[in-house]
Amino acid sequence: MTTHIHIVKVHHLTLSFPTRKDPNPKPILNDVDFGIRDGEILGLIGNSGCGKTMTSLAIAGLLPESASITSGSIKFAGKDLLAMDPKSRRAMLGKDIGMIFQEPSTALDPLMTCGKQLEEVLTAHKDSTKTPEERRKAIIEMLETVGFTNAEEILDRYPHQLSGGQRQRVLIAGAALLKPRLLICDEPTSSLDTVTTVSILALLKDLCHKLHMTILFISHDLSAVRGFCDRVMVMKDGKIIDKDTTSDILSHPKNAYTAELLTNARLDTRLLGLEPATVDYTRSPVLTAKNITAGYGDSLFARGKNRKTDNTILHDVSLEVFPNEILGLIGSSGSGKTTLIRSLLGLLPHSGKVNIRSSSVGAIFQDPVSCLNPAHTIKWHMEEALRASGKTDNSVPRKERKAKSLAKIISVLEECGLGEQHLLRHPKELSGGQRQRVAIAMCLIQEPSLIIADEPFSSLDASSSAELLKLMTDINRERSTAFLLITHNIHIVRQICPRVIVMDSGRICEEGNTTDVLTNPKSECTSSLLDAEREIHGI
Amino acid sequence: MQSKAGYLIGKLVELLLTLLVVSLLVFTAFSIIPGDAARVMLGPEASQAQVDLLRAELGLDKPLIVRYGSWLIGLLTFNPGTSYAYHMSVGELIAQRLPVTIGMSAIAMIMVIVISYPMAVLSARKPGRFGDQVCSVIGHILFAIPPYVASLLLILLAGSLFSLLTVGNYVSPSDDFIGYVGCLILPSFAIALPKIAMSFKFLRSSIIEQRTSDYVRTSKSHGLSDFKILIRHVLPNSNVSSITIISIILSDILGGSLIVEQVFNLPGLGRLLLSAISRRDFPLLSGIVFYLAFITVILYFLSDIAASLADPRIRLK
Repeated sequence: MTTHIHIVKVHHLTLSFPTRKDPNPKPILNDVDFGIRDGEILGLIGNSGCGKTMTSLAIAGLLPESASITSGSIKFAGKDLLAMDPKSRRAMLGKDIGMIFQEPSTALDPLMTCGKQLEEVLTAHKDSTKTPEERRKAIIEMLETVGFTNAEEILDRYPHQLSGGQRQRVLIAGAALLKPRLLICDEPTSSLDTVTTVSILALLKDLCHKLHMTILFISHDLSAVRGFCDRVMVMKDGKIIDKDTTSDILSHPKNAYTAELLTNARLDTRLLGLEPATVDYTRSPVLTAKNITAGYGDSLFARGKNRKTDNTILHDVSLEVFPNEILGLIGSSGSGKTTLIRSLLGLLPHSGKVNIRSSSVGAIFQDPVSCLNPAHTIKWHMEEALRASGKTDNSVPRKERKAKSLAKIISVLEECGLGEQHLLRHPKELSGGQRQRVAIAMCLIQEPSLIIADEPFSSLDASSSAELLKLMTDINRERSTAFLLITHNIHIVRQICPRVIVMDSGRICEEGNTTDVLTNPKSECTSSLLDAEREIHGI
Repeated sequence: MQSKAGYLIGKLVELLLTLLVVSLLVFTAFSIIPGDAARVMLGPEASQAQVDLLRAELGLDKPLIVRYGSWLIGLLTFNPGTSYAYHMSVGELIAQRLPVTIGMSAIAMIMVIVISYPMAVLSARKPGRFGDQVCSVIGHILFAIPPYVASLLLILLAGSLFSLLTVGNYVSPSDDFIGYVGCLILPSFAIALPKIAMSFKFLRSSIIEQRTSDYVRTSKSHGLSDFKILIRHVLPNSNVSSITIISIILSDILGGSLIVEQVFNLPGLGRLLLSAISRRDFPLLSGIVFYLAFITVILYFLSDIAASLADPRIRLK
């Protein structure tokens, strides 16, 4: 075996969050031991909460104050990081270690132009470029390196004037500005659509070669590391349980857990036992939308003046959802998917007709964290949903009614894979996947004939997504509930949706049988989505 | 994209409309209050003929819309009629009293900002630690003390223990500016106390919230020191939300000064207002109410402008 030069060496690291009540809690990181070789791209994968992010924060020295490292050491280029004082560790960030995070939409200060924020990287490290002109030049050069053709314009833009992908590029530019030797990427693409993900990964790989950087790439998506990482480590419950070259991990997993992750990531219908209901297209649709046009309104005073800008986001969109059907709706970010479902749900003013043949429509949204009220228990959420459905029988006495509704709540929760023990928990005591289940249970208790799901998987790891997907198809089959599924994961659409709609810039550009659309795409936007998909999943 | 000028013009139109509605409300309110001003001025002994004569003299016999029109013009020229009780122009009366109220509010506001900001920053450095706990307890106590109680306590303290600051003697700013500030310090402090607590609590939680935000983490990963992050990112962002609170506090202070003036025996708008109420001096009363409302509306307008300057998301849609 050849020896490698390790740029980072993590040696038997154990980390926990001790509190006054519990001075010796279960460690978050348990005897983590690995090295990052100079110049490589090392992937670190595992489900949410397994300790990936804590590992990266420990290397960067940005651990929360309540964390305590009980044993082990971290060496960066031979220097013992844990022995250094906080000030000099902070000074290493940006210069020796660069970082990119998950959520580009909130990672930039909304009050400062991108140029100023990038300049801070240079001014924070005094020995760098001196004059403002030189700094500006360096920033523009880096912005061009990360793929901006209008770098000078970007300097004066505020974050809210950029798209998600553009913001992530600005953040990458900031992290790479001083050409650090190590770049830590913590799920840099998980909130981006497939097309943007592919371009960001290509950019990172390119930067890695150009600037001779080493990358630690953290992800919960096994398919994202394919074709990107040289080596992959698998983490579970604070332990590294498997590490190997990417091709070995992905094609011949030796570890049982890795194999399980891989299966889940593939979301294979046969292995998961997904079986959507058969659809009868001759029946009348549950939802008919005709000529929906919607956009963001002007302020009171701008309305009277002649409009210079067109604020319309949706242009004349019509669609139908049939009973029992799982209709897929795909498209890149900003294509108007979310605006469309908000219009369908009546949450946004729009012109056109929406006809729903049902007493209630359920909706589940992307982020299960902020959808539930943190002050209340799951029982409260379910009771409220039940009350809102108006399906409680007011003729029976109060006590009986209460017992009845409780029984109903428990049966629905059980159907969604939760149980009586979750009734009195608060949202913060549940995992992301469990919260998404609560959201579905809240829909189900209203017995809707249609559930609109807006990217329900995007914030979940592979295992939770697989379980959720199974739940959705089960509901579809057993309750004959129709779904309108918005997603940027074409793979899922291919597996469970008989029919698909592709949207681009506020219009439906293609519609039809999933196999037809995805094998013989007729429009350009479908092909570009498919290309990105192919590149990332290697299918 | 909306232009800067467009935003400003929109806000200005909004401001003028608000003021028009305020003037209408004030006028209507004082026109429908039962009780005839002429009858009150002349007393119960006067004959109906005398009362009618006075009504004609005061213009009370004209139709409402005409009276509203002439009152509105009077407001614009800062001469909305003559006070029944003082037999002086309302504008002049208000102008005389305004320096006391405005000066007191300004000093109180400065106190609020100067004291609550550093307290909040220090407190938010280590939330939950001893210093933070002490500050929070003091905040709660201050918050619970109404301004008039604080005034009495301060008078007692200043008068009997220190005899430093003049209590009860008002000095006009044109005579002796330092004396003017000196005599307003104690009353201003009495008004400021609960507001300091309010502003402290709000700022503290807003700073703590900003400190855990994603862009702070980004700045840390860029290698910025904690102090630089506080000054350049955390404070400007918490300022955006505090601007609204500060403007609410400011209009609150204006209202709060009315009571404190009474306790400290200061010739401000508050005392003028009270005497106008007890004498049914409607021109004076409506004048004071309108101009107080006017100042409040202007303050909110300015805070909107300040918010748009501080936050590019409002400025550049």
